[in-house]
Amino acid sequence: MARSKFPVEVLTPEGEVFSDEVEMLSTRTVVGSIGVLAHHEPVLARLEPTELRLYRSDSEIVRFAQAEGYLQFAENRALVLVEEAIAPDELDRATLESKLAEARAALERAEEGTEQRARAERDLRRYEAFLSVGH
Amino acid sequence: MASQQDIRRRIASVRNTHKITKALELVASARLRRAQTRIEEMRPYADRMQELMVGTARAASSFRNLPLMQRREEKRVGVVIFSGDRGLAGPFNGQVMRRAFELERKERADGHEVVWTVVGRKGGSTLRFRRFEVAAHWEGFVDKPTYHDAQAVAHKLAELYTEEQVDRVVVVYNKFVSALVQRVVVSDLLPIPEHVLEGSDEEDPDPKKQALRGDFIYEPEPEEILERLLPVYLETEIYRALLESAASFLAAQMTAMRNASKNANDLIDSLTLQMNRARQAEITQEILEVVAGADALTA
Repeated sequence: MARSKFPVEVLTPEGEVFSDEVEMLSTRTVVGSIGVLAHHEPVLARLEPTELRLYRSDSEIVRFAQAEGYLQFAENRALVLVEEAIAPDELDRATLESKLAEARAALERAEEGTEQRARAERDLRRYEAFLSVGH
Repeated sequence: MASQQDIRRRIASVRNTHKITKALELVASARLRRAQTRIEEMRPYADRMQELMVGTARAASSFRNLPLMQRREEKRVGVVIFSGDRGLAGPFNGQVMRRAFELERKERADGHEVVWTVVGRKGGSTLRFRRFEVAAHWEGFVDKPTYHDAQAVAHKLAELYTEEQVDRVVVVYNKFVSALVQRVVVSDLLPIPEHVLEGSDEEDPDPKKQALRGDFIYEPEPEEILERLLPVYLETEIYRALLESAASFLAAQMTAMRNASKNANDLIDSLTLQMNRARQAEITQEILEVVAGADALTA
């Protein structure tokens, strides 16, 4: 059964990556996974790096590797503001793995409780999430 | 009068210079177009992000005590200069440095210490030449900044601020007004001005923005969201300054190189004229000599 559609915009600092009507949007907030259908209640959530899925229909799914960001749903429109959103076929495994290693090393160096450590942890989560999208 | 040979050599040298300036002009104008699109592409993100912050700040119980909002007595002022990695860009580097030094004199007169941070090789070497200590220096991405570069700068500035090494941060950069006009702008970055979170008080007629006032389910709490949003705001502001500065650099370079190419052309024209005169003078001289010689023989 076809569900009703709603407009989604995905914006990054380097430009718009997606703007179209979809049936469902799925991503992950700091609290847990979330799937948004049309007429969802207004929500504002912080997003974790994960795979962003936009269901144009049950069979047609647009995927992105998504970094940290925010999801806002209001008046039946979704707005996804993320630092990065990369199409899976543009992900380069080798680069990601070296960045992951870099983040691990930075985490080793950083002292407990500092801002550097928090940042290294965030980088680590991001590249891990990107790598799992790459599969 | 210079000989034909000398003038010909000069023309060749000017022509070579012209080739270089022309090439630089073309490259700069092509990249300027790209830089302008990048500014336009980041605008929707930055605008929406700001709306999100205003909405969240309204829902949060308090935001004035967040680390990046805290005001304290000013002792040290951090100045961030956005310069270029290279020269050959007209007044681009000069005007931003001049403005920064004006600012420095004013801050010193007010009894504040100045802590320098600088983006771009040119600014860095000017500061080193003047024997100033530089707290942080970035280079290599100035004419093609990415969001990642902006994050690196923003993180360092946030760190300097939260560790109380500076009590205020001011940015100085060239704002891109048009291909012909770039204006130096000085603006406060940290602490984050409160008006940023308050938004305009007037009721916005745009229904999309009105929606932000509705009741949202916040995940996590608005205060927590806001705490992470402020650094993001900082990053987008730095990114904006980087992009404006990059576009200004390319525009200034394009204009400077266009003028240089025009000058080279004028110079080639006047040198060619000079050379033709020299050649004609020489020919006339020879004819006179031949005629005089013939006259002498027949006489």
